[in-house]
Parts: sequence; structure tokens; C-alpha cells
Amino acid sequence: MSHGHSNPIEHPEVQMASRGSYLTGFIIASLLMLAATILVSGQVLAPFPLLLTIMGCAGLAAIAQIYFLLHIDISEHNIWNTVALVMFIPLFVITIGLTWWMFSQLYLRTMPMIPGMPGMH
Amino acid sequence: MSSSHDKPVDPNQVVLWSDDYEGHDVISTRTFGFWMYILSDGMLFATLFAAYGVLSYSHSYYTGPTPAQFVAPWYTFIQTMALFLSVLAYGFSMASLKTGSKAGVINGIIASMVLGIVFVGLDIHDVLRMLSIGVTPEVSGGLSAFYALTQVHAAHIFVGLIWMLVMLYQILRKGFTEDVVGRLISLRMFWQFQAVMWVFIYVFVYLWGYMS
Repeated sequence: MSHGHSNPIEHPEVQMASRGSYLTGFIIASLLMLAATILVSGQVLAPFPLLLTIMGCAGLAAIAQIYFLLHIDISEHNIWNTVALVMFIPLFVITIGLTWWMFSQLYLRTMPMIPGMPGMH
Repeated sequence: MSSSHDKPVDPNQVVLWSDDYEGHDVISTRTFGFWMYILSDGMLFATLFAAYGVLSYSHSYYTGPTPAQFVAPWYTFIQTMALFLSVLAYGFSMASLKTGSKAGVINGIIASMVLGIVFVGLDIHDVLRMLSIGVTPEVSGGLSAFYALTQVHAAHIFVGLIWMLVMLYQILRKGFTEDVVGRLISLRMFWQFQAVMWVFIYVFVYLWGYMS
């Protein structure tokens, strides 16, 4: 990680900024969010395919932003940021996924049916 | 991390250390450290997403309002665009930093701030609308989780706006010193990461909430 630049403007972390790449990330993420909004507000798909589609839109938009905006790639300067993110993603998914799975099983087994209470989906 | 690894090592010729001190790379070190902070901030969001996930069953709202009744997708889409454009403006500001253009950097940050204020303004307006129709955090666990997640994100945006104000002052007073440039890069990562988290909040909380 040694570069030894005296002028901070010359630092690779500054010089990697790119209008084209930021604009690309913006356009991809915006179009995906627009598509998800149109699909949800129009209710053109059945609920489950609709859910899968908007999940796909979210995943692709996040990947586009991480790649084009946050410069997460395998170049020499960025590799450790990428490694840290790769380590982070399982933690993020497991934290949300296991909590959700645990509670969904708990609800199935313990939730009493109280009259007048809406059912579970 | 050097190209000398490609060649076979000759024990009589090998250079084990550099003759002169190359200098401590402050910007790279701080940027990586700040990236660590951003990922731990991501874990904070993970806990809030998990809480929302387990508190968004229909029984979580009991007989109170559900997101399907109070979320307005197109309104929140305008919020999304304000945030994405703000991140784009900050990115353009950082592209101007490559040539050391003070005016370019300051204009980009001001544009980013204005769009960030639009985002927070729309959020506050939306919260006031929901409160006025009785959608308050104390109504149900589902609504508590909804408010906690969305307003923690809005609080991040608010902190980012204050940070931008501080950076405008520092650019004018100190110029592009190593410290100021390092902070501008940290703020870039912070701001862009809020847009990534917003993608998940928008799709999994607002849109999914609206359709279920």
C-alpha cells in the first residue's frame, strides 16, 4: 500500500474517480428502481414472481453501485477493500437470514390463534 | 505487492529493504480503516433489517395499519432519485478533485447537499403525513421496526449533510491537504454506501411492504 506521493491529489484513491463510471452506476441503479416501482404499483405480476423480480432488481442495483461507485474490484489498490466486503457479505446475510428463519419457526410453533387476530402468511 | 515477486530470487542480489523511507501512506490507511467502519455500519443495518424481517408478519401489525395502507411507492421513488442524484453529484465533485479544481469540488458538494436536503425534506414530510393518519411507532411492533429502520437511514443522511458542510469549510480554509482529501474520500464512501443501503430499504421495506 506504499505509494509515497507528496501531493494528495496524485494519490490513486483520488485518481480512480471517474465521471463515466459514476454515471453508469447511477443510470443502472435508477432504471432498476424505476422498473421495480412500475411493477409493484401496476401489480402486473403474481405476488411471488413479483417478489423475485424486485429482489433481482435490488441485487443488481446494489452490485452496480458497489462496482461502479465504490470501486470494489480486484485491482492492486482496491483488493483489500474487496476482501473485506467479501468477508462482510456472509455476515450480513447470516445475521438477517438466521434471525428471520429462527423467528418464523418460533411463530409457527408458538403463536396461539387469538380470535379476531389476523392470520400469519 | 511488488513486481519483483515474478522473478527468481538471487540471494546475492536481493534487496531486503528500501534505502529510503517511502513515507507513511496516510490516505490509503485511513480509507481502508473507514471502509471497515462502513462495513460495521452495514452490520447495524443488518440488525435493523432482521428486526423488520421478524416484525413484518401480519400479526406484527395486529389490527393496526400495514405498509400496504400507508406506503406511497411513487413518492418514495422520488426520494430514491433525489438520493441517487445526490450521490452522483458527489461523485462528479470527486472527479473534479482529480485536477484539483476547487470550484468543481465545491459546486459538486453543494449540489449533493441540496439533493440530500430534498431527500430529508421528503422523508420528514412523509413521516408527518403518516403520523397525521395515526401511523405512529407505538401502534405495533411492525410499525416500530418500520420507523427504526427508515429513520436510522435518514439520520445517516442528516449526519452526511453536516459532514458536507464541515468539508466545504475545510476546503475553503485549508485547501486540498492530505487530511482534507482523505476526509473527502471517506465521505464519498459513506455517501455511496447510504445509497446501497437505500436500495434494500426501498425494495424490501417500501415496495415489498406495499405489495403484501
